[in-house]
Amino acid sequence: MTVTTTAIITDEYLDHPPQRVWRALTDPVLMRRWFMACDDFRPELGHRFALDMGPWGTTHCEVLALEPERLLKISWKNPPLDTTVTWRLVPEGSGTRLLLEHAGFDLEDPRQRRAHDGMSGGWRGKVSSGIVAVLGELAAA
Amino acid sequence: MFAALANPTRRDLLGLLRGGPLPVKAIAERFDLGRPAISEHLKVLKDAGLVVEERRGRENHYHLEAAPLRSVGEWLEPYERFWRRRIGRLRQVLDEDHRK
Repeated sequence: MTVTTTAIITDEYLDHPPQRVWRALTDPVLMRRWFMACDDFRPELGHRFALDMGPWGTTHCEVLALEPERLLKISWKNPPLDTTVTWRLVPEGSGTRLLLEHAGFDLEDPRQRRAHDGMSGGWRGKVSSGIVAVLGELAAA
Repeated sequence: MFAALANPTRRDLLGLLRGGPLPVKAIAERFDLGRPAISEHLKVLKDAGLVVEERRGRENHYHLEAAPLRSVGEWLEPYERFWRRRIGRLRQVLDEDHRK
């Protein structure tokens, strides 16, 4: 099977316990301060909500998996993008390792690639180690 | 192309070649695999258009073909930037609310 989708992965250590990070990820009042307005979000399996992404249009989301203080997976559909966003919280010392995986970018779908052309203002025109790392996280076949 | 990338040794090879062109012998010395295995991985990368083989003197050198990787980077970079900024703000909000 040919692998044609890839993911963006980030890995950050936060000096705050998982319970606190979880609250920031799931409380609309806190989400508004760091993420965006999503007052109709609720941390419930199957809950659907929409995000106004400005120039990127509206993203339609559904809570696909939920393990309090450990994992939150939502669908992230902004046609033609049909992706998922997964947060994983891993206790580390007195803090939390926060892993984000935005998966399902179909590299062989030209509609996806054209959808947000021109959004890429900050690209520096060379292959960064970050991109090799991103490619390294190709979704498993 | 993506099947070529779905292998850790081949991704390490690309990482190594980011530093500049190298002959097969020098590449093989950096890995615990035999030279035939390395040659086979290089062939897969070459067939995928990710590296180019070039005759230089008595030895063939391999160098990275940046364009395919750059095109993926151009596409995903805005999303990666979006998330990095948001996570930066998440860190700020947590730090502000819970000063030690």
